Amino acid sequence: MNDFDFVEPASIAEASRIGGDLGDEARFIAGGTALMLALRQRMLTPTHLVSLARLAPLRGIELDAQGALRIGALTLHAEVAASDVVRRHAPMLAAMAGQVANPQVRNQGTLGGNLCYADPATDPPTCLLALDARVRLASHRGTRELALVDFIVDYYTTAIEPDELVQEILVPPLPTDATGHYARHLRTAAEHRPMASTAVLVQRRGDICTDARVVVGAAAPVPRRLARAEQALIGQRITADCVAEAASLAAAEITPLDDLRGSADYRRQVVRVQTERTLSGLFGLPVR
Amino acid sequence: MSHSPIGQDTPQVNARAKVLGRALYAGDIQLPGLLHGKVLRSPYPSARIAAIHTARALAMPGVRAVVTGADAPRAGWGVSHKDRHILAQDVVRFAGEEVAAVAAETEEQARDALECIQVEYEELPAILSPQEALDEEAPALHGGADNVSHRIRFHRGDVDAAMASAHLVHEATYRTHAQYPGYLEPMGTVASIDPEGRLHVWTSTQSVFLARARLAAALQLPVSRIRVTAPAVGGGFGGKIIEDANTLVAALLALKAQAPVRLVNNRLEDFLAACSSLPEEITLKLGMSREGLVVAKDVRILADCGAYSGLCAEIMHVSAMRSDNMHRLHNVRCDATLVYTNNPPHGAFRGFGGTQMLFALNSHLDTMARSLGLDTLDVHRRNAIDRGETSVHGWQIGSTGLQECLDQCTQALDWHTARKRLPDRGTRRRGIGIGAAMHVSGNRTIGNWDGSTVLVKVNEDGRAVVHCAEGDMGQGAMTVLAQIVAHELTIPIEHVHVAPPDTDVSPFCIGSLASRVTIVSGNAAIVAARAARQTLLDAAAALLGVEPAALELAAGGVQVKGEPARRRMLAEVVRHHIWRHGGQGVQVSGTWDAKTEMFDAKTLMGNIAPAYSFAAQAVEVEVDTETGRVDVLRSFVADDCGKALNPMAVHGQSNGAAAQAIGWTLYEQLHLDGGRLANGNFADYTMPTIDSLPELCSGIVESDEPNGPYGAKGASETAILPGPAAIANAVFDAVGVRITELPITPEKVLAALQAQALEGRRDE
Repeated sequence: MNDFDFVEPASIAEASRIGGDLGDEARFIAGGTALMLALRQRMLTPTHLVSLARLAPLRGIELDAQGALRIGALTLHAEVAASDVVRRHAPMLAAMAGQVANPQVRNQGTLGGNLCYADPATDPPTCLLALDARVRLASHRGTRELALVDFIVDYYTTAIEPDELVQEILVPPLPTDATGHYARHLRTAAEHRPMASTAVLVQRRGDICTDARVVVGAAAPVPRRLARAEQALIGQRITADCVAEAASLAAAEITPLDDLRGSADYRRQVVRVQTERTLSGLFGLPVR
Repeated sequence: MSHSPIGQDTPQVNARAKVLGRALYAGDIQLPGLLHGKVLRSPYPSARIAAIHTARALAMPGVRAVVTGADAPRAGWGVSHKDRHILAQDVVRFAGEEVAAVAAETEEQARDALECIQVEYEELPAILSPQEALDEEAPALHGGADNVSHRIRFHRGDVDAAMASAHLVHEATYRTHAQYPGYLEPMGTVASIDPEGRLHVWTSTQSVFLARARLAAALQLPVSRIRVTAPAVGGGFGGKIIEDANTLVAALLALKAQAPVRLVNNRLEDFLAACSSLPEEITLKLGMSREGLVVAKDVRILADCGAYSGLCAEIMHVSAMRSDNMHRLHNVRCDATLVYTNNPPHGAFRGFGGTQMLFALNSHLDTMARSLGLDTLDVHRRNAIDRGETSVHGWQIGSTGLQECLDQCTQALDWHTARKRLPDRGTRRRGIGIGAAMHVSGNRTIGNWDGSTVLVKVNEDGRAVVHCAEGDMGQGAMTVLAQIVAHELTIPIEHVHVAPPDTDVSPFCIGSLASRVTIVSGNAAIVAARAARQTLLDAAAALLGVEPAALELAAGGVQVKGEPARRRMLAEVVRHHIWRHGGQGVQVSGTWDAKTEMFDAKTLMGNIAPAYSFAAQAVEVEVDTETGRVDVLRSFVADDCGKALNPMAVHGQSNGAAAQAIGWTLYEQLHLDGGRLANGNFADYTMPTIDSLPELCSGIVESDEPNGPYGAKGASETAILPGPAAIANAVFDAVGVRITELPITPEKVLAALQAQALEGRRDE
């Protein structure tokens, strides 16, 4: 890799000004699991690496007064997985974090860094979308909040400005009767990245599904909630047919990637199967 | 009292240095004024080099040398064909081919300079498949009449008549893909010019003498002007025998710069530069009796060596012939063709051509057994050649434990119960499969010598130093030599040091290939150690005033037989051997050359190896019928190694082989896009990791090889051979679809299941 200056700002404002002044010449570094690979291959050649390690506001996990979960951007995946607060208030998020990539990445990579990279073949965005998560962006100009769905713009592209950094991830309180599950499909057991992921959050009253969020990621450039699949569930009696219908709609609704990790057709097939199995599991139907 | 380490679980003698991070690999060698090399590779699979402009690169900071094809001798290098040059001359034949190289004071400077080398290419049409290569209109990659690099044809017995008489004839075509060796240590070399002007090369190699010969040929230097030393080697799997370009480029840079140069592939470069295993298309036709005996075998092979042939002719030879010898056959015919294409070159890989053919054969036997209503296990048993028999190609089977290997595998998986299990009906279905294999231990066809020489020195403290140049790439060569010498001299293994291979110091040898080290250098170590023992007995006889015949070695000393109190420690005996008129240190060498035959050039008949190893593997898989994913749930591989000199090492190597076989079958695939590698990294080329493997279990069969040291023969290379078809057979057992093209990807399984469902519906 090329030489670079390594700077360790002590405040968000200072980090933000460096980012704003240098633009593409500067890169923020948190865990560095993706960035270091790009540097070593000279895919990126910044003159400055701006470490976020000293920024205390980017750390910590807590519940705020409204009951929302606040996760500092520098929180490691392994810390999310092990956090009692996360396990209590968003168990599907903790379970997801325990499966990201591999142990090395989970103990080095951060949740904020993961979101900023916007790699489609990863887990957190899909899961967080189903939880209606928002991100707080901070800069020397102040802070702003964006819904995650607006933050992740495209394949490897986010809405972040050069002088902004992700300060924290906010997960609103879940309805008390909501249950959710995150599932990832690895093309083979040797893969560490999902080729399709499904996150589902549902509420039911008796046999009737009263609300549903269905998110599919990894199989498409960006994770998205699938409205038609959700509509096929909401207000319906929960049956195997209903679930199968929702799963088929989910598969039809995505714009799948088509690459070495899976063809478009294959990804649709996996999305259908995974969505059907995930919903069946949540509703207590037999999983085929 | 010392305890013999033979047959005992013995940690590798170099393991401590490795796990403590103290082992020195080629890339760790530091020399004064060391420069760093980088290689510029062709982006095109086929192009003419119109011009190379290097002036700007030479003017870059820190740059000390820039070399192109014009700086290397015109002489080519290679095995059967000298078809390759150190750097491309006039044309490039694959994407990734070495075109130019830079030596600079830092690696980053070298990399910067590479970006300043301007190569003018005129792109040419590329031949990217063997079928295109055989097209009459196709241009010949290396001149000549066509793109055929090598051809093997033989016919024994009368295949057509035997086919006609067979109860069942089945023909199918199998396709195997290339596997990247994936060793932990990417290829690396430090090359320097010593004060006398000799070239001294430290390189990650399985054979220092083959490396020296190749350097001499490619650089047009006398072998004695070259010294090759092997530092610690972090895995080879065949990829570090004689096909890498790294060693040669490093040496050329050092000669040009007249300074030491370190050239270490990063992983991406290693993916581009390393030879992956030979892809073959195998059309197999077998005739079988009602009882499952193979009465005729007809084979056609089309293999793609890529741009340069390397060892591929020898590899295809193995695919063509070896598996015939595990069965009692009389009628066999083969027509095998190796062709050049503009794909990256292929080459030696653990199993050396056996893997490809045994995928086809073991799949085929399973299909035919099922057609005949037989258990595949019984078909293996009935056809298996036995001890004392001579095979259709003249191979003399001194020992075989194949039946016991099959016993162990089937017991481990409770085969007979599992076979009677009702088929699963859900979306996740389990199945079992088995495969069997044979391999050589040593191979005369490398040259008309398959020997090894071991030099043993016994020092004046009674401890020993062993010199032998058979490379230890992690498989345990140094450990087995230390065990044998310790055993013969009755000293603790800690008192034996095995020196690293060094062409200036070590006796001449061939190197670590063809599973030859244990049997060949193991026997040589016995010869050498027993000669040392005789020297010690003779010396002690004078000290003790008895005839040498009255003496024996025991517990690190020489003693009078029956009177253990009358003894002298080895240290004292060695000192006595030196400190006298006409004295000298105790240093003896021993050579052992297998009593085998180079195969006849015309008939290809001949007993090429001193021993033959066998293995079997049984697996249980689960197939997800909706996603097509195959997971291996259980695996048991049994290895007939004659005698396990170090059971810990045999289990380790056998299970490593099983893991590599699972990777080849299910996980790994090199993707070429227009001849260019698209996934040269471990995120996209997925080797098996700990969480993608079942608990790997292995067993040892000791068939007591008469030619082997203490009954041993080559261990565990055989263990990579039976797994791929065992998995394919288990997939068939689970869901009834036959995958004949590797790897077994989820898409292929799903497509086959859909075709099966369609057929089922049509039948209704």
